[in-house]
Amino acid sequence: MNLAIKELRRTPGRFLPVTSAMTLLVVLLTVLGGFLDGLELSQTGSYRAHEGKSWAFSAPSELQVRRSVIDANTRAELTDSEGVIAVGQLSQVTTTAGTEEAGLDADALRDVVFLGYELATGVLPEPPVEGVVVDQALSDLLAIDIGDDLLIGPNAEPLEITAFVNDVSQGSPTVWASTESWRAVLGVMATDLPPEGASQVLIIEADSSGVLAPAGVQIADTDEVIGALATVQQQSSTFSGIIGVTFVVTLIVVALFFALLTLERILQYAVLKAIGANTRDLLKTLVTQAAAISTVAVVVGIALSFIFIAFLPPDLPLRIEPYRLVVIAIGTLVTALLGSLFTFRRINRIDPAEAIG
Amino acid sequence: MNTLVVDQVSKIYGEGDQQVKALDQVSLEVASDELLLLMGPSGSGKTTLLTISGALLRPTDGSIQVGGSELTKLDDKELSKFRNDKIGFVFQAVNLIPFLTARENLLVVRSLGGGKVDAGAKKRAEELLDELGLGSKGDNLPSQLSGGQQQRVAIGRALMNEPAMLLIDEPTSALDSELGRQVMELIRDEVKNRDIAGIVVTHDERVLDFGDRIVEMVDGKIT
Ligand SMILES: Nc1ncnc2c1ncn2[C@@H]1O[C@H](COP(=O)(O)OP(=O)(O)O)[C@@H](O)[C@H]1O
Ligand SMILES: [Mg+2]
Repeated sequence: MNLAIKELRRTPGRFLPVTSAMTLLVVLLTVLGGFLDGLELSQTGSYRAHEGKSWAFSAPSELQVRRSVIDANTRAELTDSEGVIAVGQLSQVTTTAGTEEAGLDADALRDVVFLGYELATGVLPEPPVEGVVVDQALSDLLAIDIGDDLLIGPNAEPLEITAFVNDVSQGSPTVWASTESWRAVLGVMATDLPPEGASQVLIIEADSSGVLAPAGVQIADTDEVIGALATVQQQSSTFSGIIGVTFVVTLIVVALFFALLTLERILQYAVLKAIGANTRDLLKTLVTQAAAISTVAVVVGIALSFIFIAFLPPDLPLRIEPYRLVVIAIGTLVTALLGSLFTFRRINRIDPAEAIG
Repeated sequence: MNTLVVDQVSKIYGEGDQQVKALDQVSLEVASDELLLLMGPSGSGKTTLLTISGALLRPTDGSIQVGGSELTKLDDKELSKFRNDKIGFVFQAVNLIPFLTARENLLVVRSLGGGKVDAGAKKRAEELLDELGLGSKGDNLPSQLSGGQQQRVAIGRALMNEPAMLLIDEPTSALDSELGRQVMELIRDEVKNRDIAGIVVTHDERVLDFGDRIVEMVDGKIT
């Protein structure tokens, strides 16, 4: 016979306040987590497009793409290295893009990150001989379609859109061209482009043995490169802080609630002890109730979050990732168990003789 | 054979100026299948004596044996198991678990202390409910039962684990005389049929004929 569940089912009103409070906290956690993930993912799409590849930076650049320069000799050396399957250049600049129809007024142009690349990845197609591959996110800002010309850079060089790709934003939408087209479009304006034959970084496809870094070169994987992005680091520490505080609030809510509930139930616990309940019986009751309450709060809270998010403006950078939901569910459960255990000492001290009354 | 042996037991509540001597060197023996009525004015220590005999409270001094076990030597965990196995207690305030049905209030005794509610437990609960005239009330919550019915459920709960001793605090004070006699009759039958030692605390002159023996307490002493 499960006392804890019977009590929950037959006196649900008693548990409604804490379940509601926890449900709202789960909504808060889900939405905050959604913003954290949405912001981070919208900053890192162009990096994640190279998941599984290695990156070569010049050593002093500290994994910042635009500070790095890798010359043709290093590239040749890496290409010949043990375990290396393919090497491709990658460079980027921030510039603007527009369309003929929208015109070239400043407010009709969109900021984009314009990248020259060589290697196809799971996300990126082979670089087009002419034309550009365009971030799907840009089509939300400009009326563009495949076959249209995109006007890129200060000289509004027209390049035909050959494909759209999803989830490759880097704060701004990205536009991808072959290294040659990239240089041709930018050549006129660029003083700070890498010299002819060089690139900012190299993308390396290698077998599982890994790549040996030549002198003056730093090799990193995609996660390390993303970890080195200052904005990403700042945002995630801010949001992680808020999420941590929310968990602490949850802990306090649950602990306070169970403390109050215990006061209400001292007689009931005393009776149970008087008729033979031991510490394990009481602990089981408490843990079962905390687990049941948090399960309901997680399920209802996540469902409410989806409803809530559906009413938010669609251009907010908010993304619900499955792993985030798992973290929230486990975190809430653990927090509720800890919170309920605060009262366990009190329950354990209840004197069965109090049942005499 | 004596189920309960209380030897020179004293109980002092509180500290310093607040001290109350509730029991003063009380000695008492109760045999199996004996029903003892404990009487005396309010505040004379009846509940305290019952509580100590039922292993719910430790005496300040003296020794208590139930079925040969010395209670003062058991730790809290052992006492809790001992209560579950050996003692049936009916409290002055009936104290059923409010969110459990009458039947579940009996069964819960079996599920505590690592026990299991098996077919045998269910059968026993049904038998007790029938004997107590509650056969049709098994699914009622305490709030759906009258005072007398609640009292009988509490007696059923006390009998559930086939205790060696049944301790009942003022069972008839809340009942009219007809119901009061019915409840006493039932308690006497249980004590006689199941060979257990029973102590009933009562103020009620109308039920004195049910006891095998009457003991009077005044000021923490047996007179
Ligand atoms: N928990 C307690 N703390 C302090 N004093 C108590 C407590 N329980 C009982 N007493 C005191 O002990 C004495 C005996 O009480 P009790 O055993 O309840 O008597 P009775 O059941 O005969 O009315 C009374 O003076 C009462 O006030
Ligand atoms: Mg009393």
